[in-house]
Amino acid sequence: MARYAMVIDLEACVGCAACAVACVLENEVPPGHQRLWIRERELGRFPELTVEYRPEQCLHCERPPCVPVCPTGASYKSEDGLVLVRAERCIACGACIAACPYDARFMNPAGYVDKCTFCAHRVREGREPACVETCPTGCRVFGDLDDPESPIHAALERARRVDVLKPEQGTAPKLFYLNTPARTGLRDTGKEVDA
Amino acid sequence: MTTFYGLPNAEPFWHWTTPVHFALVALAGGTAFYVALRALRKDPSARRLAWLALAFIALDLLMLWAESPARFRLTHLWLFLSFKPSAPIWWGAWGLAASALLLLLLALGARGERLWAGLLALSSAVVLLYPGYALAVNAARPLWDHLLLALFPATGLLLALGLLAWLRPAAEVAPWLQVAALVSLILTVLYPLALRFGNAAQQTAFAQWLEGAGTFAAATVLLAVAAIWARKNPYLAGGCAIVATVLLRSWIVEAGQHTLLTHGF
Repeated sequence: MARYAMVIDLEACVGCAACAVACVLENEVPPGHQRLWIRERELGRFPELTVEYRPEQCLHCERPPCVPVCPTGASYKSEDGLVLVRAERCIACGACIAACPYDARFMNPAGYVDKCTFCAHRVREGREPACVETCPTGCRVFGDLDDPESPIHAALERARRVDVLKPEQGTAPKLFYLNTPARTGLRDTGKEVDA
Repeated sequence: MTTFYGLPNAEPFWHWTTPVHFALVALAGGTAFYVALRALRKDPSARRLAWLALAFIALDLLMLWAESPARFRLTHLWLFLSFKPSAPIWWGAWGLAASALLLLLLALGARGERLWAGLLALSSAVVLLYPGYALAVNAARPLWDHLLLALFPATGLLLALGLLAWLRPAAEVAPWLQVAALVSLILTVLYPLALRFGNAAQQTAFAQWLEGAGTFAAATVLLAVAAIWARKNPYLAGGCAIVATVLLRSWIVEAGQHTLLTHGF
């Protein structure tokens, strides 16, 4: 089986938010909620300044803390490594929202927990997630970690550095950030920038 | 940090209904546990108290159903069609269901009272334990420290005993009330210390705890009053215990939602 993952090259991301718009349209995300959002971080000191645009969403962790706490099996990890929600089983208890260290889940007003699925419905058809297809700079790459021919491997190998969010949580995220402009990666430890 | 085209889903996900549920489940579990102890001693009053515990369970389940966004989809049936021992809420659901059945058997005077009472002691202990477990399991929210695994059952039992101090003869409830108040008091004092001297995440949570230190101080005083006055004036002690436990538990549930560790913004 596949082990789907995504990389986002932060050097290439210009923060246009086309991915966020595509996600809302593709998945009919209800108003006031997000499956995908973008953080903006200023780095450096004048005159050496830069801005990091960091899209965030569910990281489809290898060890997702949201899955074991679900009391009905609504939250589950599929055979191809996607962390998904069976809406028809969800009791809307919010336990998975509490467990997620990334604020990636929300309560859909229809009465179930909702989140990014890596556009599982499109992936099943052999298509790419909407955010990947829409990105005008190609900063997002989606692929199978178990397939050496997958473009995600080339992207990871080319990267100057690779980071994940909150590695100390031990969740082993499958959303990798490449080439973050900060020397300290994704953790905010002051104003700094690569020369 | 600024965000645009959407914000992270950082708003509170549990609302006032969750502390109410945690209070009702404590009353249900604590009363059921007390019924089990009385029934093990062959106390005839256990039968009447069993109806009270059943009423708390019914009220709690009704409230849970009414407040759930999934109430008309009947998905709660999946709680009993799934095997998810890693999920605290799954244990809570089975604990409540088993306790309800055992309480009904005791209330109706079914044969084998001691067996049912022994099983009820176990199932009601699960009911008392599960809210603290449901909080402590969230590693990303350090305010929900592992100490809650002890603090929530202790305060849950104390809440029920506080109410029973008004309903039952003083001499019967007072010793239990005193012990539960003392244990709750010790754990309430230990809780900020565990945060203060814990790892980096817990120390961040300690800074947040300081914002609620007034609530904790009030609860600590009330718990001390309950522990000291339990035998002299169980009515006063019971009242103090109820207010203190509701304050403590509600604050921890509400504030703990906001302790997600930051990641670079």
